Amino acid sequence: MPEQPYDEAAVLTFPAGIPGFESATRFVLREPPEYAPVVSLQSIDLDLSFLAVPVGALDAAYSLAVNEEDLRRLGLPTERQPLPGADVLCLALLCAPKTGPATANLLAPLVVNLKSRVAVQAVRSDARYSHQQPLPGDAAC
Amino acid sequence: MLVIRRRPGETLVIGDQIEIEILDATASQVKLGIRAPKCVTVLRKEIQVTRDQNRAAAQETSAPELDRLKKALLTPISGL
Repeated sequence: MPEQPYDEAAVLTFPAGIPGFESATRFVLREPPEYAPVVSLQSIDLDLSFLAVPVGALDAAYSLAVNEEDLRRLGLPTERQPLPGADVLCLALLCAPKTGPATANLLAPLVVNLKSRVAVQAVRSDARYSHQQPLPGDAAC
Repeated sequence: MLVIRRRPGETLVIGDQIEIEILDATASQVKLGIRAPKCVTVLRKEIQVTRDQNRAAAQETSAPELDRLKKALLTPISGL
């Protein structure tokens, strides 16, 4: 849970939590400039935090596939995919094990409605992207 | 892997308590009905993968690891 004060405007609401942490519905998004493009997400409800990176920083051509249920949850039109940067912020969770290479989850990006700050983890049902995408410069680890 | 051919309306069982019925099938999609005890978790595989990955990603990350991540992300792909 956050020790440092936070701005309500930086709070993201995940109405259904995320898989594995269904009761974590509110996260503080922090973007420390010294770690850009890495951002942190800290749960307000649980002792839980994540690191993430904008999907575009890993794959500029990433193609979103948010299902209808998630689009409805986000309060976005269901007949088209949202536009990253205009409609939504799209983040990939990072996993940095002590041994082994760091990876990003491109199978299940966090998609944040930029207007309402409501968010979902939009799990893809296709196999187009990996849940353990190696980071470009971490091959030596 | 065991492979079984079934048509819509047909059922298969796993053990004594799990029953899977083929409700509908099209060229691109199969609709399944699953009867299982409450203690058995039924998840789409990608949700299970995401849950496990989220649990692994939730570990604390120290400042040196953050530096490593940042460096890894800022390295152009051609640098491999």
